[in-house]
Amino acid sequence: MAVSTRTDLHLARRRTTNFVMLGFCVLASIVALVMLGLVLYFLASQGLKHISPRLFTRLPNNIDIKQGGIAHSIFGTLTLLGIASLISLPLGILGGIYQVEARGRFAFAVRFLTDVLNGIPSIVIGIFVYAAYVYPLSQRNPGSGFSGYAGGLALGIMMIPLVMRTTEEILRLVPFSLREASLGLGATRWRTMWSIVLPVARGGVITGIMLALARVAGETAPLLFTILGNEYFPTKQANVLGAKVTVPAMNTAIDALPLRIFNYAVGPNLEQHDIAWAAALILIAMILIFSIAARYATRGGVLEEH
Amino acid sequence: MNSRTIKAAAVAAIGFGALTGASAARAQIITGAGASFPAPLYQRWAQAYKQATGQQINYQSIGSSGGVKNITARAVDFGASDGPMTASEMQNAPGVLHIPMVAGAVVLAYNVRGVPEHIKLTGPVIADIYLGAITRWNDPRITALNPGVNFPAANIVPAFRSDGSGTTNIFTNYLSQVSPAFRERVGVGKAVKFPKGIGGKGNESVAALVRQTPGAIGYVELAYAENNKLSYADVQNRKGNFIRPTIAATTTAAEAARLPSDFRLIITNTPAAQGYPIVGYTWILVRRDTKPGVKKFLQWALDEGQKMAAPSGYAPLPANVQKRALAVVNSLQ
Repeated sequence: MAVSTRTDLHLARRRTTNFVMLGFCVLASIVALVMLGLVLYFLASQGLKHISPRLFTRLPNNIDIKQGGIAHSIFGTLTLLGIASLISLPLGILGGIYQVEARGRFAFAVRFLTDVLNGIPSIVIGIFVYAAYVYPLSQRNPGSGFSGYAGGLALGIMMIPLVMRTTEEILRLVPFSLREASLGLGATRWRTMWSIVLPVARGGVITGIMLALARVAGETAPLLFTILGNEYFPTKQANVLGAKVTVPAMNTAIDALPLRIFNYAVGPNLEQHDIAWAAALILIAMILIFSIAARYATRGGVLEEH
Repeated sequence: MNSRTIKAAAVAAIGFGALTGASAARAQIITGAGASFPAPLYQRWAQAYKQATGQQINYQSIGSSGGVKNITARAVDFGASDGPMTASEMQNAPGVLHIPMVAGAVVLAYNVRGVPEHIKLTGPVIADIYLGAITRWNDPRITALNPGVNFPAANIVPAFRSDGSGTTNIFTNYLSQVSPAFRERVGVGKAVKFPKGIGGKGNESVAALVRQTPGAIGYVELAYAENNKLSYADVQNRKGNFIRPTIAATTTAAEAARLPSDFRLIITNTPAAQGYPIVGYTWILVRRDTKPGVKKFLQWALDEGQKMAAPSGYAPLPANVQKRALAVVNSLQ
């Protein structure tokens, strides 16, 4: 009898603990979801009414702000993400593969330093690019340091550790038996990586890249020191296949959505605030569309990020 | 508007491929950055200049300190500041010239429920508000200046600039002249440490802070107060007259000062009887070997551009200063 009572008590306590802890978990999830919901709701309620086609087709108008748009900021953000991807994807993915394949002190050091790079505040990376790129270039060619390239470089540096770590994590999830089968059939290591491991991990790697892009797309601090901002859509005459055409210029100060939001949101002018809200919504929507498109384009991958 | 409308889709389509393959003719956009004090005017100038000549001038309002730093680093084609560069800053930036563009008034904008526009303040009272010695709107020293105005017992929230600012330079230069306590405890500079209050980046932010904060008082360029429909104070000048900050009172103060040959002079606390005391020139900073496009823009700004100053809330240059500034610009390579 005594034993049975003790067991009952024990069971009851465990059930209670389970119930309480489960309650906390559910509560935490709900709070997180509510936060996200509130942000999105707030953004949509303020931003939707100010979205209009002119925002996508016009440039800022400093005489009549209501008539202005942010076409160049949208294009600028897309370009920055493009340049950042060109820099960070090869480095990040190759680095990630190295982390999985290599053993030893150097690989450990690389992983540690990648984490350190990941922890560096974005504004410090902006200052670094100013000192390493914007300033030296300005000495040779005054007035040319602030540029889309500098901004892309700053965002690219931020993306490298993000892409590298997610690539590594995903590659580690690929079952070792797959590699063993491939190697057992006589495939070389690079053939195994290229034809077996990477295709299996494709979906997860893409997800990691999208997360990295989403993370840097909203960065303002590094852009303050690298692209400066622009009221115009900088263009230049270029020779493409023998024909003179006007193309967007990247070697000069450009604009980007987070910077425009930052400048307009602190502005005293209410019309600027309206555009800032709309711009914030456009930025979120852009990231969402990217993510969905990337998921759709790469559907069928075996491993997703957990 | 048609000329400003971009065919974004077409441009994006050309996009990347063209970017990388294209032989680079340098972009012909001219980039300037600096003071927020004259930014509304410079941006209007840029827009009018684009319509007149097709040349794009990109001016970004990042604060006077940023303007000085970036012209020193040669990262921009021109900088802008409303505090003259210090001797040590000049040493780091050989060949940089100060060109005065317009004069402006720094006004004390406030947001107090039930208090009318244009209350009267004196320099020492403003200094003590910023020092934290006067903490409530119904302080006897304020009510004594404004008989018949019913001030609430609300706390005064001083708003100041958190970034390096020529506006701060003008403001603290004035207060240090009229209040020994202010000179001792805060001093003069583009970035000083105020003992009390809330900070904002740029004239834009300080104006926004004043508009949003009940009981706030802040110093901003006249145009920012006007554009945001903020109430602002009349300030007693050296001759004892309470002067409303206007274009005319700013011009009067500017005309009373004799600028040295390099134009670097702060002109606060004017001796003129009808001059507003918290007034300053704002300068564009250019390298002696600047681009031809910058020279042309400055020539236009000192000539045609001056007509746009007053409607935007700034005082055009006095005739003799304008002539001298133009002569310096014409001498640029």
